[in-house]
Amino acid sequence: MNENLIKPPVEIRYADELSALRESDTGKKPENWVLSPKAVRTFILGGKVKTKDGTVEISKKFYGNDALVERCIITLAGNRGLMLVGEPGTAKTMLSELLSAGCCGTSTVTVQGTAGTTEDMIKYSWNYALLLSKGPCREALVPSPLLIGMEKGVFARFEEITRTPAEIQDSLISVMSDQILNIPELGDDGIVFARPGFNIIGTANTRDKGVNEMSGALKRRFNFETVEPVKDVRLEKEIIIREAKNLAKVGHIDMPIDEDSAEILAVTYHELREGITAEGTMVEKPSAVMSTAEAVSVFYQTISHAWYYGDGKTDLSVMTENLLGAVCKESMDDLQKLKLYFNTAVKQKSKKAGGKIWQEYLKASKILK
Amino acid sequence: MARVSESVKNSEVSEVQEKSVPFDLDSGVLLFPVRHHSPVCSYQLIKTIELYKPEIILIEGPENANSIIPALTHPDTVLPVAFYYFYKDTGKLVSEEAEDYKCYYPFIYSSPEYNAVKEAEKLGIPAKFIDLPYCDILINTSENSGLRKKADRHSYADDSHIVGGKFHSAVCEKTGVRNFDEFWEKYFEIAGLELSPEEFVHRMHTYCIITREMTSSEELIADGTVAREDFMASNIKKFSEEYKKILVVTGGFHSYGIYERLSRKKLKAPRTHKIPEKKQGCYPMAYSYPSADALRGYASGMNFPYFCDCITKSLQNGTEPCEVYNEQSLDFLVRTAKRSSKKNIPVSTADVISAKSLMTGLSALRNCRQCGTFELFDGVTSAFIKGEKTVSSSIPLDILAGLASGDGAGKIGDKSHIPPLVADFENLCTKYKLKYQSASEEIVEIPLFTKPKSTELSRFMHRMDFLGTAFGRMTKGPDLHRNTDRNRVREEWKYRRSPQVDSALIDHTTDGFTIEEACREHAGKILTEKRRCEDASYIAVECFLMGIPLSDEQKILIDRITAEDGDFFSVGRGLKQFEMLCRLKKLYQSKDSSPEKYLERCFSKLVSAIPSMANVPEEKADECSEIIRSAYSTVQDILTDWIEPFRSSLETLVSSPEKEPSVYGVCTGLLYAMDSDWREQAETAVKGYLNGSPETKKKGAGFLKGLFSSARDIVLNDDSFLNMIDSLITSLEYDDFMEILPSLRLAFSYFTPNEIQTTAEKVSKIYSSDGNILREDAVDESLFLFGESLDRKIVNILNNKYK
Repeated sequence: MNENLIKPPVEIRYADELSALRESDTGKKPENWVLSPKAVRTFILGGKVKTKDGTVEISKKFYGNDALVERCIITLAGNRGLMLVGEPGTAKTMLSELLSAGCCGTSTVTVQGTAGTTEDMIKYSWNYALLLSKGPCREALVPSPLLIGMEKGVFARFEEITRTPAEIQDSLISVMSDQILNIPELGDDGIVFARPGFNIIGTANTRDKGVNEMSGALKRRFNFETVEPVKDVRLEKEIIIREAKNLAKVGHIDMPIDEDSAEILAVTYHELREGITAEGTMVEKPSAVMSTAEAVSVFYQTISHAWYYGDGKTDLSVMTENLLGAVCKESMDDLQKLKLYFNTAVKQKSKKAGGKIWQEYLKASKILK
Repeated sequence: MARVSESVKNSEVSEVQEKSVPFDLDSGVLLFPVRHHSPVCSYQLIKTIELYKPEIILIEGPENANSIIPALTHPDTVLPVAFYYFYKDTGKLVSEEAEDYKCYYPFIYSSPEYNAVKEAEKLGIPAKFIDLPYCDILINTSENSGLRKKADRHSYADDSHIVGGKFHSAVCEKTGVRNFDEFWEKYFEIAGLELSPEEFVHRMHTYCIITREMTSSEELIADGTVAREDFMASNIKKFSEEYKKILVVTGGFHSYGIYERLSRKKLKAPRTHKIPEKKQGCYPMAYSYPSADALRGYASGMNFPYFCDCITKSLQNGTEPCEVYNEQSLDFLVRTAKRSSKKNIPVSTADVISAKSLMTGLSALRNCRQCGTFELFDGVTSAFIKGEKTVSSSIPLDILAGLASGDGAGKIGDKSHIPPLVADFENLCTKYKLKYQSASEEIVEIPLFTKPKSTELSRFMHRMDFLGTAFGRMTKGPDLHRNTDRNRVREEWKYRRSPQVDSALIDHTTDGFTIEEACREHAGKILTEKRRCEDASYIAVECFLMGIPLSDEQKILIDRITAEDGDFFSVGRGLKQFEMLCRLKKLYQSKDSSPEKYLERCFSKLVSAIPSMANVPEEKADECSEIIRSAYSTVQDILTDWIEPFRSSLETLVSSPEKEPSVYGVCTGLLYAMDSDWREQAETAVKGYLNGSPETKKKGAGFLKGLFSSARDIVLNDDSFLNMIDSLITSLEYDDFMEILPSLRLAFSYFTPNEIQTTAEKVSKIYSSDGNILREDAVDESLFLFGESLDRKIVNILNNKYK
């Protein structure tokens, strides 16, 4: 199954690890959780577990802030929802998938918040053919992911919650405070009680702040965790390489990954995001999102280009073109900022000892016009 | 690093564990390892004292502080308190630089060293410090190492060996904690409370011996560890001849070193030096919780000292060790919620419950026996911060950090140990009702010239400033040094008693027994070192502000310095300061006549030097012009007898063949101000620039700038000057005009707004304009204020960057 999916869900992608963790897990579990909080921690932050077949290495899947992951796990074991906020591309969705898969064994009970999300999509809707023929009954009810989560006692994930209008968001309040969903059409059978293990993980993008501000009442029902961009360039490079390898594998691209190019890209993204270079030169931050996820995307595009059109080697001019496309999305001012970055920071690095690859990168910047 | 990692993987740890320090309650000497400010060390130390029943307690600390131990245990003493050590290396025993050295040894209620002396007092047994005197530690320490590292503030109880050793990062990685502090709290502070003293001491020794193994012998020699341990061991041996049961309390890092030395047959202690009392000393001083916080970067023990003290006090009040962290963290959580609510940050009881549940869950997940500060901060982060974590939304975290760090200040109970200047400072603060025991910044407003007590208070604040105590900083009021805001009749000072106040006062102990005496003496010392008129005038202004009359000897010194200084600019700056003093004498009710004398001395020197300023370098021309203008202002109403020599001096400068344009302009303007016949010569000069080469034309702007700064009415009397300026501007190429534009702008900045309006109207007439172009919408006040603040910030940044 894994081989045939573009993006298999976490519980399938890491089925072996989850199975090993389940086998070795001796910790106390909150009701309906498939793993104990300690095992969920190991699932996300990595480690080793002993099974009857030997020691199994659990890969580290989330980098940068281990304490945040611990707080998330404990929050989900309590009676408050978890809201992950942060810049785009900081792996909020990935973390929520990992938490859902680790705690409940499924990460697919998901509501995608958009400007067009309605209350039906959050609570329930009807199969109108059945509704007309049989009247309001359970058979005719189409449960939303939230309702499924309540009935099964698993986490419901609400992606991009602040893209949803505030009054729609507020329909979560009664569910979260009373753990009940009322379906008046079903009469006496219309009260659905949440089973233990149910909780909500929301994600919200800080760039959407103010679009649909959450009400105070809803905020009170969540614990908030801010997921920050990766602060360590070396770590960012590792993530770029690892994710690009995964994507290449799925895309059947079989070529070696050029680590130097990945490093250059990681440094570029890091410095443009922070507004300062390793040498202490101030650079202007582009208005575009300079996330690690964007860097992975740029790098994967570069690899794809090399695989399909090139000689299997990463071309820095192609990478610069892809970078240009990724950075200059929202404002043409970002082009100037990118050019300035090349003219100051990249030039400075190219003059240093061992700056040969930076010289090539600088040459590649000629396409920025 | 590979070696460290390997050791963590137990390959070397087992070898290291073979090295151990015994915990034998029947032995003659029992070594107890501690970490500074550690509550668990204090707790286990007290238990050990009960079990061991020592006859004497020896503590790691410079032995020259033994006489002030009673100040620490005095019933009226309130912690935090620090022992302040100073050493003036005039004999160049430490280095050729003959520097002054100082360091602090802070104590809070959770400090094991404090609890050691307190327990000794309870038991009626002696407690002694056994380390080398401070100066000898310095002598035995290499440059940039140990207490000779470059740092703003030195702490004697620096535990960087345990905290910052190579071992700790590997340990953190292995145990899955964020940093050393989390590791320490989990495995020592919290887990250690449930261990027996023997188990705890064994755990401490194990950790400290490994960190010691990771430190090279060169490092141990360089930072003075070897010499100190030799000295401490020899002291212990000495005491063991008299006492049968000795408890030795030292930093854990030193325990093995001392133990190993005690087992040697021969021990050679380093030689100590006899230093006069004036050059070396130790005083107890009030300290504050913020200063004792290791998070402030002073590497002296634990983070959050007030939290540590609460743990210690709670244990002493009978709380079960297995609950004390849970209780205190809940207490701090509730206090954080209350204080947040006071700041209009909505934190409900439900949030507190959620945070508490999260803390408990986290401690279980992390295998931590109780909720420590890390769980506390995590709980507040998740449950109290609603929305994205930003600087503004993180206020609950800041509140918690403030609470845990503490904001109180200590007090020395035993007045006999307070240095005289500190005592005088405290008396004067009490007299002027200043809140000197507050750790937060206070504000006092002083109306000048109304009541004698206000004047005294102002003088007191200036004296404290002069002694470099950083006790107060004047935020509003006349600044006589810069000659600004002289019209203000109130001063506003922000003040706070930081450890620097006490240390600076102690440093000045040799200058006198009162603050007034110290200031007088200090001023005299500065004067004997200075050779420039501007420095002498600075001291004269300081003394004026401090209300300290100059002694005859000091007056002679200033006169001599002024007479001997040959630098035009230094004398010019001095002249401005002395001129101001002469003008302010009446207002400040000063009867000292010496400023007039110095002023005349400066003036006479300037008059003879002015002609030589004709060719002053361009970068110094503005200052030169300003000095000449000041001299003119002086000659107008103070030194009126000097007007002729001054005029002749200006005429000599003007007649020089080569002249710096702006200085030439100033002198011409002043001559015109003294005699209107000079108008013609001024016009000739302008025409000369106007008809010259393009380069000469550019210089015309500088001339006008100088001219307008001293005689702007020359433009207002008739239109001939304006026409000439118009010709000058219109004859310039665009680029040349842009080049001189700043000078022209500066030239017109000397005019009042009304004069600018009049001039603008005249210019509009030249071009037959209807005058509408003259009017623009007024700049919005907020925009102006923003520009002004931006300007200030830029100037500050530039000053800081290029000072």
